[in-house]
Amino acid sequence: MDTSGLNSPELQRFLNQEKEKAMVNEMVAKLTNVCWDKCITGTPGSKFSSSESACLSNCAQRYLDMSVIIMKRFQSMH
Amino acid sequence: MDSFSSPTGSSSPFSTDEFMDKFKTQLAQAYAQEFLETVTGKCFEKCITKPGSSMSGSESSCVSRCVDRYIEATGIIGRALLNSSR
Repeated sequence: MDTSGLNSPELQRFLNQEKEKAMVNEMVAKLTNVCWDKCITGTPGSKFSSSESACLSNCAQRYLDMSVIIMKRFQSMH
Repeated sequence: MDSFSSPTGSSSPFSTDEFMDKFKTQLAQAYAQEFLETVTGKCFEKCITKPGSSMSGSESSCVSRCVDRYIEATGIIGRALLNSSR
């Protein structure tokens, strides 16, 4: 019989892993949503143009750059 | 029956393994649900620009292309995040 409770190290490890995965998933979903609106301006075709896929990829990376800048800006405020 | 509810009278409703399994299933369902809602919204915006009395052939082919592209876009964004984090 399994007697491990909520404090079992196995469960804690599992939850931490899942939390991390959830954060990544959330971020991907959010950026896809935002970058889709910015980059895919026409009717969706049967294939992305190279400029569309480059835009999506740049969009995600610039969003991260921007988050860093904004974080630093806030840290320097106090 | 809710899949997280426990059988009555048991002090240990499920094993850790069982819990992890259920947890993953529920999470996957939640993601699928959220994804479906987002894609529906995005593709409605793109493809149904002037809702007519029925769905036209070009509208429905737009929708299937749109769904494919949204899935592709999710992959591109995922890879872009992965590349910039190392």
